[in-house]
Amino acid sequence: MTKKEKKSFNQCMAEWKLFLYNPTTREFLGRTTKSWGLILLFYLVFYGFLAALFSFTMWAMLQTLNDEVPKYRDQIPSPGLMVFPKPVTALDYSFRVSDPESYRGYVDDLTKFLKSYDLEEQKNLTACPDGALREQKGPTYTACQFPVVSLKGCSGVEDPEFGYSTGNPCILVKMNRIIGLKPQGKPRINCISKKTATLSTYPSNGTIDLKYFPYYGKKLHVRYLQPLVAVQVAFNTTSTGKEVTVECKIDGSPNLRNQDDRDKFLGRVVFKITMHA
Amino acid sequence: MAQKTPEIYSVELSGTEDVGKTDTGDGKEKYRGLKDKRLELKKNHQKEELKKEVDLEDHKLSIKELERKYGTNIVTGLSSTQAAELLARNGPNALTPPKETPEIVKFLKQMVGGFSILLWIGAILCWIAYGIQYFNDKSSSLDSVYLGCVLALVVILTGIFAYYQEAKSTNIMASFSKMIPQQALVIRDSEKKTIPADIRLLSTQGCKVDNSSLTGESEPQSRSCEFTHDNPLETKNIGFYSTTCLEGTATGMVINTGDRTIIGQIASLASGVGHEKTPIAIEIEHFVHIVAGVAVSIGILFFIIAVSMKYYVLDSIIFLIGIIVANVPEGLLATVTVTLSLTAKRMAKKNCLVKNLEAVETLGSTSIICSDKTGTLTQNRMTVAHLWFDNQIFVADTSEDHSNQVFDQSSGTWASLSKIITLCNRAEFRPGQESVPIMKKVVVGDASETALLKFSEVILGDVMEIRKRNRKVAEIPFNSTNKFQLSIHETDDPSDKRFLMVMKGAPERVLEKCSTIMVNGQEQPLDDSTAEAFHTAYMELGGLGERVLGFCHLYLPADKFPETYSFDVDTVNFPTSNLCFVGLLSMIDPPRSTVPDAVTKCRSAGIKVIMVTGDHPITAKAIAKSVGIISANSETVEDIAKRLNIPVEQVSKRDAKAAVVTGMELKDMSPEQLDELLTDYSEIVFARTSPQQKLIIVEGCQRQDAVVAVTGDGVNDSPALKKADIGIAMGIAGSDAAKNAADMVLLDDNFASIVTGVEEGRLIFDNLKKTIAYTLTKNIAELCPFLIYIIAGLPLPIGTITILFIDLGTDIIPSIALAYEKAESDIMNRKPRHKKKDRLVNAPLAIYSYLHIGLMQALGAFVVYFTVYAQEGFRPSALINLRVEWEKDSVNDLEDSYGQEWTQYQRKYLEWTGYTAFFVGIMIQQIADLIIRKTRRNSIFQQGLFRNKVIWVGIASQIIIALILSYGLGSVSALNFTMLRPQYWFVAVPHAILIWVYDEVRKLFIRLYPGSWWDKNMYY
Repeated sequence: MTKKEKKSFNQCMAEWKLFLYNPTTREFLGRTTKSWGLILLFYLVFYGFLAALFSFTMWAMLQTLNDEVPKYRDQIPSPGLMVFPKPVTALDYSFRVSDPESYRGYVDDLTKFLKSYDLEEQKNLTACPDGALREQKGPTYTACQFPVVSLKGCSGVEDPEFGYSTGNPCILVKMNRIIGLKPQGKPRINCISKKTATLSTYPSNGTIDLKYFPYYGKKLHVRYLQPLVAVQVAFNTTSTGKEVTVECKIDGSPNLRNQDDRDKFLGRVVFKITMHA
Repeated sequence: MAQKTPEIYSVELSGTEDVGKTDTGDGKEKYRGLKDKRLELKKNHQKEELKKEVDLEDHKLSIKELERKYGTNIVTGLSSTQAAELLARNGPNALTPPKETPEIVKFLKQMVGGFSILLWIGAILCWIAYGIQYFNDKSSSLDSVYLGCVLALVVILTGIFAYYQEAKSTNIMASFSKMIPQQALVIRDSEKKTIPADIRLLSTQGCKVDNSSLTGESEPQSRSCEFTHDNPLETKNIGFYSTTCLEGTATGMVINTGDRTIIGQIASLASGVGHEKTPIAIEIEHFVHIVAGVAVSIGILFFIIAVSMKYYVLDSIIFLIGIIVANVPEGLLATVTVTLSLTAKRMAKKNCLVKNLEAVETLGSTSIICSDKTGTLTQNRMTVAHLWFDNQIFVADTSEDHSNQVFDQSSGTWASLSKIITLCNRAEFRPGQESVPIMKKVVVGDASETALLKFSEVILGDVMEIRKRNRKVAEIPFNSTNKFQLSIHETDDPSDKRFLMVMKGAPERVLEKCSTIMVNGQEQPLDDSTAEAFHTAYMELGGLGERVLGFCHLYLPADKFPETYSFDVDTVNFPTSNLCFVGLLSMIDPPRSTVPDAVTKCRSAGIKVIMVTGDHPITAKAIAKSVGIISANSETVEDIAKRLNIPVEQVSKRDAKAAVVTGMELKDMSPEQLDELLTDYSEIVFARTSPQQKLIIVEGCQRQDAVVAVTGDGVNDSPALKKADIGIAMGIAGSDAAKNAADMVLLDDNFASIVTGVEEGRLIFDNLKKTIAYTLTKNIAELCPFLIYIIAGLPLPIGTITILFIDLGTDIIPSIALAYEKAESDIMNRKPRHKKKDRLVNAPLAIYSYLHIGLMQALGAFVVYFTVYAQEGFRPSALINLRVEWEKDSVNDLEDSYGQEWTQYQRKYLEWTGYTAFFVGIMIQQIADLIIRKTRRNSIFQQGLFRNKVIWVGIASQIIIALILSYGLGSVSALNFTMLRPQYWFVAVPHAILIWVYDEVRKLFIRLYPGSWWDKNMYY
């Protein structure tokens, strides 16, 4: 048995060698040089043609697109909510009041995020009248100022630590940008928590002003600032080791959905803050 | 002796009289001997043993020795206690049915065969991936568990389906064998008796047996008590189990029962001959290896790439699963099964019943057919072929219905001859068949007399009436010592009071008794010249392989034999010499009228037809010539020798194309000589062969790398049937053992049916190629997304579940529809495919499917994918390397190209829309793929776009399934389909048209430049 196998193995090797290079027919990998040349030439031409064709169709497809507005917006009819500092994995903030290193990341993130909301940055923006949608006809579109002071203790102006050092951490809530979205009613961010903590929202009542809508897209609506709502957590007891789960929802606007079984971020956001002493 | 255990004895060979009772019993020695022998056989000596003649000694022993051996007495038999003891020890007298593979084993085989292993690996990887996920994060999603379950379900379902198909086709066979009742041991009140066990004959009276089920010889053989031959199959003093006794009576002693009979031994040995793997099974295995090889190597390659690109191992495993699922054509094996069973059904309509589905294709790749003569090539009934009277040979019509008898019937000699034929004949039609055509009526009598009866009935009309008018007054029946048959009749002419004596028999014996000969109705003295003419005619007819009978008559003078004369056949008180010779008549078992055509077809199809028969070489050669197995202008060595008048040894073997080889010559040949014989001669007839030699011939053919089809009917043929690549049993004449061993049963026993089977088999091979090419194409379109996903980091273009919906949903009916495609050219005009060179899946097929059409398809589908993303806000440039952010659950404000922000679920939904778009893109292009696969060489317009209606059913099914998935089930999130905008369905249409145009160009160049570089690389 073994002898037979060995022989067939040797045969196998010989066959492979012959396949790699066959000196009698001068075939390399089963083809002569000429045949290889033809094959390579063929595939060069063929794939060149296919690549050109693909590029052309893609180009043609891109011509159907509008630079300012996507062709369809049906897949994002209603905005999601997102919080800052940007969570690393899950929406779970955990820090130690006594240890500035433990919340350094959060503070940096907030500072970075609020950079575009600097007064200096905003000075070229329009001061828009409150309380009404701001529809524009172009050709130039202007963005409204967002007074960062309305975030009060969470604006980073008074407290560059955003309350983390005092045990009253700030979380910013923002609504996703959607081109052409016109909220009805009086939209506001309503945050609730289960006992253990009281929440303060800024601007007061968590109002989102209609003047920031509609959004006209990255290209037209340069330097657009989306409205923000800050949530500051104050724990009820003074004992160490506190934990609170906060749920924020868009409220007061019938066309902004805040309840979807599958999309947990559609018009709402849930996050957890764990504070150690 | 009372009949206590009727299964064992009650040996009654003739219905007329019980001469005595015989007993049974084989001594323990004998039994043990056989058992030891069988054990030894199992040690792989089986085939060698089989090729030897069957081993039996009892025919050489004298009666006394037999009595001693079996401890019995031929007069009193065994005592009832002894009999019971023997019954208990040896079991009842029945054959053990062949062992069946247990159903559960068959089922499990379907579960692990083919691609199932790969899919099982995929499923297990899914579960492992979930295990790792769960270990890291207890709240991880169950997606990969579901995917694993879906994969396992796919394997199980396709396994069940294949098993069901297999079982269904086996059921056709089972129901078929129920249709033919198993032969009863003793058929009372009829003319034939089946011999119930192997019997050593002790006394006989004109006993003739039909051994055809055992040896394939259709001629009845006489049986006597003498030991005549060393070979137990040839000797006259043994009667075999399951053979039939045609006439006479005999008494014998049972020497073997059940499995120990000669037939039982052969049957059990036959089941030991390994069944060869069918060519299509080899091809499919080859194909599975190719695809699995591609899948595994790409999978591992990209696993390594993914790991070195710093993907998590877990992600890399999930990529691996995707690549495997994309590469494996899950639905293909089920499709192949359905396709084969469709063909099997079609063949069953044409009288080829296929037992084993895979045999459907084997027949198509057949390169040598070893055919029986009797019953397969011939009609299996004696028929009058020639007549000689008035110094002239006349040809009779031997076609199936005898309708066209053109010879001159005006001569007075014919009037006399026809009278003799009619009167000197004991055969009769069985009553109650008035409405049956003459040729189909059942006749009581032997083959020759039957032939004569039917012949005269066709020409003269009601034979019974003629016999009634010419009342028979005396008769001497035929026996082998005097070799003639004689009867005396009154004439039907009322004025003629003479008696007419008619005689038929062996021509030379009949001529001896004659002194005159009738020419043109006149009696003439029989002189040397007329005797010479007789001999010439006799030799000529004999040389045609025909059985010749001589006929003569005598009108007894009325004065010596008055009306009241009492004839006595024992004392023979009437003259039996100086008769008047009237004519000769020769009979043959004529070829079926469809056979010559079929043989010609085989020849043009490159199939060698070899005749293997137990008959005499002259008869065999004559039939071979008349059906074209030996073509009109080819000669054997002997023919050349005769023509040139030189000794056989001096003839150059190269000049002869044909050869007639007898079993005796074959016995002395070495395998090398046999190989030489098989390669040197294109037209070969094996005559006087034993069924054992059939096995040797089959093996010889297989050594030439040929795919061999063998026909057979006898039990003895079953080893050869099993050994052959495709064994074909006769449905009418075949024994159950032969049918069991065969892969196919010819319901009408007709050779021509084999040829239609070959045609179907070749067509299915071509169409399977098309089906596989069609199915493989989209694998690239399914695979590319994964590769691009890993390398360029695009959001996943198509999901694993979606791929399964293509493979097992939209693609199934179209790929079956290709089985209905008509042949592109005359498939019976090309050589049979070479087992090792013409593969089902060859390099051009794989390359063209994967690297040409498959790639074009992938590009087309990507266009649809990019269109959907771009129009929703993600331009292609934004998609590159977006994968990580895109898939992060915590990122719920991912910005698109227009500054909008997307939550994770919104992205997921867009991803599913992308899946649906990619799916629709592939589906639309698969329609084009389906159309181009209709032909491999011809233009679609030559083939006819609408000729195969099933293709359109397939196309409709694709579209309808896709519509249902998108619009009907678009809201079921588990399936990952969404409602797609109507216009996206048309994005891939230009690509589909391009595929069609490209393939037409390919075919055009193939047709324009056959044999060119293009043809070699592009024709699959």
